Amino acid sequence: MATSVADRQVRISKIAGRYLVFDIDDVAYIRRHHGICAVFTGTMPQNPTQNVFLGLPIELYAEEARLLVDKKVGYIADDANDHLSRLKSLDEPSRKAYLQSLKTQRKNAQLVIDEARAQSQAKHKSKRKDKAPKLEPSESTSTKEDDTGLFDATPAKPAQVVVAKQALPAVTPTSTGQLISKGDGAAIQVPKSYPLYAYLNKRGYFITPGLRFGGDYSVYPGDPFRYHAHFMANSYGWDEQIPMLDIVTSGRLGTSVKKSFLMGAQQPVDDDNGDAAGDSRVRVFCIEWAGM
Amino acid sequence: MPLDDDDIPTAALAASVSVAAGADAEIPTAEEALEEEAQDFRLFATAFRKNTGISAQTIRRGEKDFESHGTRAQEKALEQSRQAMQDHLSYTRVHLPQNWARGWYFPDWWADFTEEEELQQQQLHQKEKRPPAHVRDRVVILETSSNSSSNLGRTVTGQAKDRPGRGKDWLLPEEALFLIERGSLDLWWPMRGMEEMFPPEKQPGAEEEVGKADEQPKATAEADEYEMGFPLSVQAAYALLVGNDGERGKVSLQKFQMYSNLKRAGFNLLRAPSPPPSTQQAMALQKPPQSNTIWQWLVSLLTGANHSPQPYGPLVKPGLHRSYNTIYQQMAVIPRHKPSEQPSCAEQPQAPFEIHYHVWKAAAKWTKLRHPPPDFYISVVDAQQTDVPSYEEITALIDATPYAPSNPDWAGQHGRLYARLKHGHRNVLIAVVDHGVINYMRFAEGAFGEEPLFPRFDTRGATRGGKRGGGRNHRGKSGRGGRGGRGR
Repeated sequence: MATSVADRQVRISKIAGRYLVFDIDDVAYIRRHHGICAVFTGTMPQNPTQNVFLGLPIELYAEEARLLVDKKVGYIADDANDHLSRLKSLDEPSRKAYLQSLKTQRKNAQLVIDEARAQSQAKHKSKRKDKAPKLEPSESTSTKEDDTGLFDATPAKPAQVVVAKQALPAVTPTSTGQLISKGDGAAIQVPKSYPLYAYLNKRGYFITPGLRFGGDYSVYPGDPFRYHAHFMANSYGWDEQIPMLDIVTSGRLGTSVKKSFLMGAQQPVDDDNGDAAGDSRVRVFCIEWAGM
Repeated sequence: MPLDDDDIPTAALAASVSVAAGADAEIPTAEEALEEEAQDFRLFATAFRKNTGISAQTIRRGEKDFESHGTRAQEKALEQSRQAMQDHLSYTRVHLPQNWARGWYFPDWWADFTEEEELQQQQLHQKEKRPPAHVRDRVVILETSSNSSSNLGRTVTGQAKDRPGRGKDWLLPEEALFLIERGSLDLWWPMRGMEEMFPPEKQPGAEEEVGKADEQPKATAEADEYEMGFPLSVQAAYALLVGNDGERGKVSLQKFQMYSNLKRAGFNLLRAPSPPPSTQQAMALQKPPQSNTIWQWLVSLLTGANHSPQPYGPLVKPGLHRSYNTIYQQMAVIPRHKPSEQPSCAEQPQAPFEIHYHVWKAAAKWTKLRHPPPDFYISVVDAQQTDVPSYEEITALIDATPYAPSNPDWAGQHGRLYARLKHGHRNVLIAVVDHGVINYMRFAEGAFGEEPLFPRFDTRGATRGGKRGGGRNHRGKSGRGGRGGRGR
């Protein structure tokens, strides 16, 4: 957030042929400025036993990775090799720098934990005191912060706190950050539906995997935070023969989940100098039940 | 799978968190520069505080809009959602000293663990009824056994006494990565060898020497806690532990996503045993009973020859028929599939349609070593790269699962007919993974031939007695039986 938006370079980690993003600022950036929300796939450490809210990393489509690279706002990094080679031959200064940044994080974590603990202890004390007179009016004002503090600190007894203060809590950062070098761009193989993807993305549509509704893509008119999907999209070849039954099944399927079935194709160029996402040559149609 | 997109994980995050985080979550950009210091603290406060404000009550708060109408209210709601997402996901995993579990990445420790050894182990385990350990794939050693040790990790038994790290728990890549993600494990990169970090147990003879070696690292550990290695990020863990299918010591992303999805939901999972290297042995084992069934089949052909249809003429011989049974039996020309306890096809499942994981429903008594037979068998495939399985593929896959007929209580009950058909005689789950979105499908070996309807037509009179009031229309529902009554 702090770095200027203009020169932000999103690190797209390519791991075993998949494209992942680990940095939360990168995730927020491509969501705000490039219409890419992708799929959260990680377990949330705050609530690890539920499947409703998921966390980092996000997994990008190959199309999305390609789009970001083509727009020159991201680069592909071969994370598996980068990490292995870097970790195996780590020089002393960079190791120290990495450990120093970890130490500051640990200190910060300790500060936050101490603060939360103090808050909850204060709350407990005041509760005990107030129990005799009457229900305290202050509760309604302080519930928000104290709820979280309560959760953190209840298991720890005051005696333990003093001992624990010696050792800082350990920290597992989400992204490796400065430790690894910038990868150089690798070629991205995109599926043949890429032109349709780029076409929709350019017009401000957000796209998530189609598996939810049974097409290539689920298409949202804006950020899925605010809107339902309007379309389920399939991509075809320009001269591809589409069986009538495909239209019926897809249209039927789309209708049953209150989406409209969208199909698109890109007209091929004879000479090969056109850009891959040749936007102007994409045609898109929607199919709806006539309901007669 | 929900058909509406209300259940998209992140979608609801927005509304809920914006409520929980309150008004201080959004500070106008213009003022940000002025309030630099306060802003900073807020940033790292959100980064380490477990905000548990996401709860079921707050999930559905705030209806989604149909489309953008350009109002400021809408923009603000969206921005709040995004900010809340950002705040929540910038949380950094913190391990308090009292429940800090550390694991070390030693990818090559078991690399030369030979197949024979593993096979021997497997046989040994089968005697003791222990599940296979996949030792070669275990790459993370746990320093101390943690709470999760009853469900995850394995010690490798049968090792020499002087081998370093003896008796420690070793994790598979998916187990390690899942623990790291949920914030229960701190993965470290070692800068020393196994011998130094996990010295072998003291032996009476060499006590002094080993004792010294044992003390030394302890002393240095106090001096510099990063002497032996340093902690890795979640990103590094992904880079080290996620790989392509079949890579030793790695797990494919699709499999990991399925694994963690089910783990989060509370299921217990273990890697399925890899298919036996010599298929002939297995074939030989299967043969005798199979020939038995073939023999039975031949006998049935011979005895059935009496009813075998004429080369021409009507299927049903003209004559006086007193029951439907005889008629339908004469009409049964096409052999039906009959499920048996012995798999019908001897072929091994082909990738990707193989059993990858055994799954158990959550149970208090379940441990990694002692557990009942699995509740489910799961195969994981990629949505974009896989076609619908061919008949051969799905048969081989289903035959790799044990015979699991439906509940015996259901047998013979008319009302349970569809339940029986649906349950099948063997079944397998296929998890289809599309870039992190997972769909589970169940394939079962159905046996319609086992559920003949025609014997019922003869007993019709008896069952219909009670239903007579229903009239003719009612009776017509059971299809062919509609012509009944003629025999009477």
